[in-house]
Amino acid sequence: MLQLYFPVLLFILVGIGLGLIMLALGSLVSPNRPDPEKLSPYECGFEAFEDARMKFDVRYYLIAILFILFDLEIAFLFPWAVVLPEIGIFGFWSMMIFLAILIVGFIYEWKKGALEWE
Amino acid sequence: MTAQTVIFYAFAAILVFAALRVITSRNPVHSALWLVLSFFSSAGVWMLLHAEFLAIALVLVYVGAVMVLFLFVVMMLDVNFDKMREGFRGYIPVGATVGLLILVEMALVLIGGYLPAGATPSPGQTGPGYSNTSALGRQIYTDYAFPFEIAAVILLVAIIAAIALTHRTRRETKYQNPNEQVKVSRADRLRIIDMPLEKKE
Amino acid sequence: MDELLLPAQRLFGAAWPTVWTLAKIIAITVPLILCVAYLTLVERKVIGWMQVRIGPNRVGPLGLLQPFADVFKLIFKEIVVPTGASRTLFFVAPVLSIGPALAAWAVIPFDDGLVLANVNAGLLYILAMTSVGVYGVILAGWASNSKYAFLGCLRSAAQIVSYEIAMGFALVGVLMAASSLNISDIVRNQSGGLSHWYIWPLFPLFVVYLVSGIAETNRHPFDVAEGESEIVAGFHVEYSGVAFAVFFLAEYMNMILISALASIMFLGGWLSPWPTIPDGLPWLLLKMCAVLFIFLWIRATFPRYRYDQIMRLGWKVFIPITLVWIVFLGAMMQTRWAYLFH
Repeated sequence: MLQLYFPVLLFILVGIGLGLIMLALGSLVSPNRPDPEKLSPYECGFEAFEDARMKFDVRYYLIAILFILFDLEIAFLFPWAVVLPEIGIFGFWSMMIFLAILIVGFIYEWKKGALEWE
Repeated sequence: MTAQTVIFYAFAAILVFAALRVITSRNPVHSALWLVLSFFSSAGVWMLLHAEFLAIALVLVYVGAVMVLFLFVVMMLDVNFDKMREGFRGYIPVGATVGLLILVEMALVLIGGYLPAGATPSPGQTGPGYSNTSALGRQIYTDYAFPFEIAAVILLVAIIAAIALTHRTRRETKYQNPNEQVKVSRADRLRIIDMPLEKKE
Repeated sequence: MDELLLPAQRLFGAAWPTVWTLAKIIAITVPLILCVAYLTLVERKVIGWMQVRIGPNRVGPLGLLQPFADVFKLIFKEIVVPTGASRTLFFVAPVLSIGPALAAWAVIPFDDGLVLANVNAGLLYILAMTSVGVYGVILAGWASNSKYAFLGCLRSAAQIVSYEIAMGFALVGVLMAASSLNISDIVRNQSGGLSHWYIWPLFPLFVVYLVSGIAETNRHPFDVAEGESEIVAGFHVEYSGVAFAVFFLAEYMNMILISALASIMFLGGWLSPWPTIPDGLPWLLLKMCAVLFIFLWIRATFPRYRYDQIMRLGWKVFIPITLVWIVFLGAMMQTRWAYLFH
C-alpha cells in the first residue's frame, strides 16, 4: 500500500516545485523597476486610506463553521457508501438516524435564516 | 535504514519543527499556516502506519475545513496585537500554573500508557484488495452504531450552538425572497376598482 | 519495453524507482500544461464564435501560437509586490494554489491500468486535495493587503467551501453506486455500454456535480469573486507576471480536473459507449472535451449570478437535492431493484 502512495507524495512535491520554479524563473527574467505609485495597492481613483484588513460580516465565519460540520458528515458518509451492500439493513438504518439528526440541524439553520444573504 | 524510515524521520522532523514554529512565531497568521504544515506531516506519519482513511480524512477535515476557519478568524478579526501584549506579564503566574498542570496530566497519561517499540504489532502486510476504508465502515455502522449516533448528536449541538452564538438577524437590510417573488399572483399586485362614471356638468 | 529500460535502470541503481516515477509524473504534467495553454485559446475562440467574432487569429496560423505568445509575455512582465503586502505569503499563495491542483492528478486513471498511483482511497484523496486549494485564494487575498483582493478572497473562499459540500455529497452517491473508493474500480463498474454509465441512476448528482464544479473553480456565471466590473479581479488583483500565471494555470488545471472527474465518475471514463467498440484513452479525452465545451458554453450564455443567489443555490437547492438522492439511493439498494443502481 505504501508503495502506491509514494508517487502521490512525489507528485505533491513536484506540484509545489513547479510553482516555485515558475516564480523563480519569472523573477529572474522579468524587469524590476519599482516606483511608489506602481507599488501602491489597487484603488479606484483615490489614495488608499486605511488598512485593507478589516472586520467583516460574521456570516462568513458562520459559513466556515457550518462547512466544518458538513465536511465531517461527508467524512462519515464515505465509508458508509463503500460498504453499504455488506452492512445490510442495520447499517442503512444507523446512517438514516444519523442523517435525520443532522437534517434537524439543517432545518433549524434554514428556519433561523442563517443561510440568508442579501 | 529503509526508505520508509527515512520518510518517517523526514515527516517527524517537519512535524516537530512546524509545531515549534506554531507557538514561537509572532504573527498569528504564520502560526496558523505552520499548524497546517504540521497537520500535513502528521497525515504523512499516519499514512506510514497504514491508516489510509484517517490520514486523508485528517487532511480533508482539519486542513481543508478547520484551519480555514482558524485562518478566517486570525486574519480578519481586527485585533490590535500590540494592545493585547500590554500587561502580558501579569498573566504569567496563571499561565504557568495551567501549563504545569497540563504537563503533569500529559506525563501521567503518557507514562501510564507508554509502550516500548515493538510492543504493539506493526501493521501487517495486507493484500492488494484490502481497503482500510471498508474495514472501518464495516465496524462503525454496526458494532459502533451507538457512538456513531452520539457523534451525530454532538454535531447537531455544534450546528445549533454556532448559529445561536453568531447569527444576528438584521432587519434593516433588504433582500429578495425568490420564493415569494415566484408566488406572486395578479390579485396581490393589481386591484381593479369600480369608479362611477363622471358626468359632465 | 522493460528491456529497453534496462540500461537506464542500471545507470540509476537504487534510485531507479524514484526516477521512473518522476518520469511518469512529467509525462502527466507536460501534456496537462499544454492542455491548459490550448484550453485558453479554445476558450477565446469558442466564445468568439458564439458571439459572432473570430477570436485571436494573429499569432501563427489561425492564432495557434497565441498561447505561447501569452506565456512569454507573462514571463517577461514585472512581478509587482504592493507595499504593505506580506512578502513571503504573497509568494507562498500561488504555490499553494498550484500544488494541490497538480497533485490531484496523481490518482486519475487514463486507461485500464494506466494510472500513476492506483490507491484505494482515490476519491477521498481528490476531495482532500481540492479542499486544500482554498488556501491559495485566502492567502492571496490577505497577503496583498488590498481591499479588492480582500473582498474577493472572502467571497470566493465562502463560495468554494459552500459548493464543496454539495460536491462531496454528490461523490457519496457515486460511491454508493460503485461500492469502491478506487477510481479505476469506479470506471470498471460502469462497463457494459452506454446504459451502464452512472449518469443515468445518478443524473441529479451529475448536474449538481457539474454546476458545483463550475462554482468551485470560480468560473462564470459564479465569478462574483473576480467579477471584472465589480471588484476588478478578486483575490489576484495585485498579482502580475508569472505570479498571476501560476494562479491562472491552477484555475485551468482545476477546470480540466473537474471535467476529467465528471467523465470518469458519470460518463464511464475510458469506456466506449458500445461494447463492440474498443475502449481506450481517446474516449476519456473526448468526454473531457465535451464537458469542457459545456463549461465554455455556459460562460458564453449565462449572465453572472448575484452573490446571495449563489449562496442560495449551493445551500438551499443543491444540498437538499443531494441529501434526498442519497437517501433514495440507499433505500432502493435495500429493495430488489438494487441492481438498477449499481
